[in-house]
Amino acid sequence: MNLDQYPVAGAYDELVGSDRKPRPAATALFDYLARLSPAELNERRAAVDAAIMTMGITFTIYSDGANIDRAWPFDIIPRIMARDEWRLVETGLKQRLSALNLFINDLYNGQAIVKDGIFPSELLGSSRNFRPQCVGQTPPFGVWAHICGTDLVRDRDGTIYVLEDNLRVPSGVSYMLENRMLMKRLFPELFKVCDILPVDDYTTRLHDTLAALSPRQNERPVIAVLTPGIYNSAYFEHSYLAQQMGAELVEGSDLVVGPDECVYMKNIEGLRRVDVIYRRVDDDFLDPEVFRPDSALGVPGLMRAWRRGNVGIANAPGAGVADDKVVYTYVPKIIRYYLDQDPILPNVPSYLCMNADEREFVLANLDKLVVKPANESGGYGMMIGPRASAEERERCRQQVCADPRNYMAQPTLMLSTAPTLVGNDLAPRHLDLRPFVLQSEHLFVTMGGLTRVALREGSLVVNSSQGGGSKDTWIVEARG
Amino acid sequence: MLSRVAENLYWMTRYLERAENTARLINATTHVLLDLPRGASFGWDVLIKVAGQDALFSEFYTEHDETSVMRFLISDERNPSSIVSCMRCARQNSRTLRDVLPRVAWERINSLYLLVNGHAAGAVERTLRYSLLDQLIERRQSVIGLLSDCMSHDVAFQFIKLGRYLERADMTTRIVDINAAVLVPRQQSAEDPAIALLWMGVLESLNAYQMYRRHASVHVHGAEVVGYLLRDMHFPRTVSYCLAELEECLAQLPHHAPPLKMLRIAERRLQGMYIGELTPVARHEYLDAVQSDLAKFHDEIAAEYFHLHRERQGPAIPAGTG
Repeated sequence: MNLDQYPVAGAYDELVGSDRKPRPAATALFDYLARLSPAELNERRAAVDAAIMTMGITFTIYSDGANIDRAWPFDIIPRIMARDEWRLVETGLKQRLSALNLFINDLYNGQAIVKDGIFPSELLGSSRNFRPQCVGQTPPFGVWAHICGTDLVRDRDGTIYVLEDNLRVPSGVSYMLENRMLMKRLFPELFKVCDILPVDDYTTRLHDTLAALSPRQNERPVIAVLTPGIYNSAYFEHSYLAQQMGAELVEGSDLVVGPDECVYMKNIEGLRRVDVIYRRVDDDFLDPEVFRPDSALGVPGLMRAWRRGNVGIANAPGAGVADDKVVYTYVPKIIRYYLDQDPILPNVPSYLCMNADEREFVLANLDKLVVKPANESGGYGMMIGPRASAEERERCRQQVCADPRNYMAQPTLMLSTAPTLVGNDLAPRHLDLRPFVLQSEHLFVTMGGLTRVALREGSLVVNSSQGGGSKDTWIVEARG
Repeated sequence: MLSRVAENLYWMTRYLERAENTARLINATTHVLLDLPRGASFGWDVLIKVAGQDALFSEFYTEHDETSVMRFLISDERNPSSIVSCMRCARQNSRTLRDVLPRVAWERINSLYLLVNGHAAGAVERTLRYSLLDQLIERRQSVIGLLSDCMSHDVAFQFIKLGRYLERADMTTRIVDINAAVLVPRQQSAEDPAIALLWMGVLESLNAYQMYRRHASVHVHGAEVVGYLLRDMHFPRTVSYCLAELEECLAQLPHHAPPLKMLRIAERRLQGMYIGELTPVARHEYLDAVQSDLAKFHDEIAAEYFHLHRERQGPAIPAGTG
């Protein structure tokens, strides 16, 4: 296999060392690839594309007011990490989510962290995702964010950083599972030569995480996945997870809250009580009685039922308060405050535009930094300084000055790369990693996660809505 | 199970059944046509009449030639019952049902849709048509086999069967009626060999020719064919057979009294007529009445099982649910 394009200046490669040789965890893969002719490789790739169409692995994008179903862009070269390194990441992710949940529960109950002067109260006051309607609630186990998708990136020196914590309705886990399914279908022989740790238990763990929230613990819980509907970009995932968990896939109009403040599904034989809702609908649309009154996606009265403890909701309403790029910068302090531990996984150094001196620095270095709005996801509204035009930088300056609380900046990381099939060759492409972390009664981290790859040469934007693709992610046990 | 899910299951199978029946009808007609003597009055417009789509067809087409009729029935997305439209709807429905159906069911329906959608335009030509439609029939059967073998025969399954047998019963009455469309204008003699060929085509389109000859008669006579296709209790495409299956489904569903009542009305009408004495015109009217019974049966099913999710407000909570 031709590795002419290596090494890439200034970037760490996940599979190839600076000596242009495969890293130890990747040698078996490269031995295998070396035995495939370009024709065979292309055959496999064509088979993968056909399988993606048949399996209907799609995501929906909005374009010119129409919804288009796009096949999931998938690269057949896996991203590989050694089990030993992964163990550390796993511990760090558990530490981080535990601390974040303690933080959220504190914010809605007593706010000790604010009183102790660790977290500024004005930040809370201006947070768009703090929900006063949730004050005084303590969900089961004190856990608010049950499902978290944490974005990790690796910088040029090999250090893994946490880029953001997605605590609202993180998506992508179905693609992680489907990517593995694709690889098993199309490269079964690879699974013989590499010790690839399985990822398939996620849906069982998700089910158990949700079931633990049921208010009727002595009965088999009725679990529903609440989707905004077939036109949502993640509909594929919603139906996939419901199917895999044996849960009901429901839309807001399928549910009704009774006078007894319990939630019911409208069934053919009448109404049936629902115990736990895994909602894939944002807070804003959850309950028109409490949040946006014009929402047709939600269920009137759902918040009353939740506050009474008659239904479990994951993630809990209001959990998004900790999913904010400004709160993010406090996570190391949050970990120290609640757990009295040093953070295992470092944050990317960040500058808060609300602080005058940091803002000065950001505005003076717009050409070097990435500026992000606090509340957007999917890469929207992001300004990558080194790649932006003068006008884009100027527009960014005005936005920051108008609403400093809503912006933060980070140095431009040189995201690590991995070999990606381009034509008949392997070319380095930048990528990140989104593991999924579960917490209710227990903590659980997926084995690896979803690797997203920027398919355009040199691009650092991995979001599927903006030309990103994905790879299977292998955590491999070293052969001794 | 959710009312919305029940309705989607029901429509998914209706659309699949309709696509398959349309494919059967087209294939059988094409075969018959090849055998008809020159000058026999058989027009492609018969297929449009059978589908009950005259009005819609004439909105878009002026000629009733083979190309127009085939385009309308196979690939025209403006026709909600064209094969492509049916497969699109079936796929869309099954997409919302992935939590209920075996995983592979979605894959098979999806890939069948991709096949049909990719080749429908070319299938207007006879050479490609037969092979595409044959594949459609075969692969739809594999979907049904999969559902029968790999899915619990629970309430959800009953809605799959309801959709299938109701659509099938309706289509069988329409296919039987095909001869009305041909015969009425010409008043030909029943002994005309062209007519016998047409009845054979009818039997073939339902895959019933072989079973008819084994169980009903070696000779193909109009009244006997009609009687067989409407009232035989053993061949799974006859109207009586479908109604019996529908009754079995209802027995496993809650609150089934109103739809069951309507079903019994349809059954009585079916049993109560002496088909041999009917003129083609009377037979056509009779079949119309059966179709209207089936439509009313659908209305009862919808009112009983699907209406809950249409009401935005939701009903009061009955005591003791949960």
